[in-house]
Amino acid sequence: MSDDLTIVLTALLVATACGLLGPFLVLRRQALMSDAVSHAVLPGIVLVFVLFGTRAPLPVILGAALFAVICVLAIDAFRASGLVRSDAAIGLVFPTLFALGVIGIDSFASGAHIDLDATIYGEIAFAPFRTAELFGVEIARSIPIVGAVALVNLALVVALWKELKVTTFDPEFARTSGFSPRLLSRLLVLAVATTAVVSFESVGAILVVTLLIVPAAAARMLTDRLAPMVLLTVAIGWVAAIGGHRTALALDASIAGAMGLVAAACFALALLLAPRYGVIARLAQRQRQRRRVARELGPAG
Amino acid sequence: MGWLIDLLPLTYTESVVLIGATILGVTAGVLGAFAVLRERSLLGDALSHAALPGVAIAFIVTGAKDASSLAVGAAIACLAGAVLMVAIERTRRLPPDAAIGVVLAGFFSLGIVLLTYLANFNNANQAGLDTYLFGQAAGLLERDLVVMGALCVASLAAVTLAFKPLKVTLFDRDFAGAAGLPVRALELAMTVLLVVAVVVGIRTVGAILMVALLIVPTVVARQLAHRLSRVLVLAGVAGGAVGATGALLSQSSGLPTGPVIVLVGFALATAAVLLAPGRGVAWRARRLLRDRRRALTESVLVDLETALHAGPPPTAQELTLASGRSPREVAKALRDLDRAGMLARDGEHVRLSEPGAAAAHALLERRRLWSLWLEHGWQLELPDAREPDPTDVRASLGDDDAERLVELADAAEARGAR
Repeated sequence: MSDDLTIVLTALLVATACGLLGPFLVLRRQALMSDAVSHAVLPGIVLVFVLFGTRAPLPVILGAALFAVICVLAIDAFRASGLVRSDAAIGLVFPTLFALGVIGIDSFASGAHIDLDATIYGEIAFAPFRTAELFGVEIARSIPIVGAVALVNLALVVALWKELKVTTFDPEFARTSGFSPRLLSRLLVLAVATTAVVSFESVGAILVVTLLIVPAAAARMLTDRLAPMVLLTVAIGWVAAIGGHRTALALDASIAGAMGLVAAACFALALLLAPRYGVIARLAQRQRQRRRVARELGPAG
Repeated sequence: MGWLIDLLPLTYTESVVLIGATILGVTAGVLGAFAVLRERSLLGDALSHAALPGVAIAFIVTGAKDASSLAVGAAIACLAGAVLMVAIERTRRLPPDAAIGVVLAGFFSLGIVLLTYLANFNNANQAGLDTYLFGQAAGLLERDLVVMGALCVASLAAVTLAFKPLKVTLFDRDFAGAAGLPVRALELAMTVLLVVAVVVGIRTVGAILMVALLIVPTVVARQLAHRLSRVLVLAGVAGGAVGATGALLSQSSGLPTGPVIVLVGFALATAAVLLAPGRGVAWRARRLLRDRRRALTESVLVDLETALHAGPPPTAQELTLASGRSPREVAKALRDLDRAGMLARDGEHVRLSEPGAAAAHALLERRRLWSLWLEHGWQLELPDAREPDPTDVRASLGDDDAERLVELADAAEARGAR
């Protein structure tokens, strides 16, 4: 498999995995949970390195997952006290965990070339070089890993579609009809944390955060219905993956960054041009209204 | 600033870092309050990520890694990000956190692309631009302190001067608009102030750790005060204290400054959430336990009084049977009563002492008044519509109305008898 194909395939799988969860995060006002988790896992990675001296994927993922769970639980605990709002709770917890990680690197691992951006957080450009044997075929490690995550997310969203939908739009009604919004919220955050942690290792944190939030936000500008929104989110993610790869080749710049940039450009287009909710459509509508009012008042005023 | 540096019993660098961290803490504390109270705590997160492309563009334009031009670039990019965020929110299609997330991801991606693109020109000079975002307190100069101090004083003065309009806009946007205040300009002003704090902070503690520094002081202050003016002052004090303590601790331990400041801040915020008088988690738990204990003691007191009415003084065992509570609870309540001098024991049997009987009667009287209030309270003509305190109706209504309640009840009873 060619390197470029591997990179694009990996990015497509990550975009799918993220695109399935992103709409629910955006609609539930939990979009920044992904950013929080992406920073909070640092001490886990450092801890694994300090204790076992390894940066192999499985222990790193386990260490990161441990701290992702700690992060989510700590945010929940602050929120449950009723004294701190959810956004402030997020902002208290993740910088603290990140600070622990930085101190860990500074004290124990400064000589070990733990490089924040690339080695730890992964870089999609390296995906083709990290290979593994699968059924006797040599294949980039990231593809089966991220592919599995995408499949799990797909199964989750399909199996719990009704539950996710009702708890997202009307938690009170969901509670009275026997779905626990709390349980589903936990499950969703857990899925996001797993997706994030597993994908960081393959493609880097910033790309995962971007693909979780930006395509879903763009899709939200375009549609009111949940199912089209999820499909659109995945599609925009794919556009970002393929377009970003092209852009990165043309500019000879970071692939993850370019994919994020294309996703952001898609969002900007949606923001401006969306048929009903876009900025231009709204301006035109206001203009029409103003003209109508002027016409109706015209003879009198 | 020179005199202050000479005054401190520290080395030159240590003094500069200490003063810088304190100024930053005060500024971030006061200005962060406007973000946290509007439920935009993570605005700082987006702003500090948005600085990256600004830094890159400033480098492209000036071709030098000069701290002040980089800061100006960062500030412009932050402002652009903030304005974009407001524009996204105003479409009303996306919640504030999604707007923050989009700006954060978009700007940061742009920054990465610009930095990697720059790297192609093999201009070794650009290396290390991204570390700008991680902050380096030790790199602070005396000149930076002067700039930081001036920005701090200017922004605090702005907050003081515009305090009232800012407050109204913060808590009741619609009312502020109706009262003729320039709401949008004021909200923009709050955001600009936040940008100032973020740009100042990025250089000292780094982008991500700055997020915590904006939030911690307000969380702490909010536990201790309810008025905005006091919250702002306390947030400034808490921020300054966190900055100074963190700087000193990092110097004595040899750990990096930014992370230590954040850890100190987290510890303070957690302590405030747990222990704040009246509001803290531990405080509320203690009050709950106390209330439960008192309710238990009172109910056993009433059971004992009832038993004494019905027959000879009961033993603790008989009392347990009569009250339908567990033996442990009854024993605990009897211990409390004993300690308060309300019991007189005849061997195994318990009686009420003089003060105990008085307390039981007072308690029954209070309970009776509450049921009278529930039944006849509607006939009272009271000056206001407040509900009296169930545990002490007499004190809430006043003696006259309490007597009137008893009369009403007696009259109703007389009518019922006829």
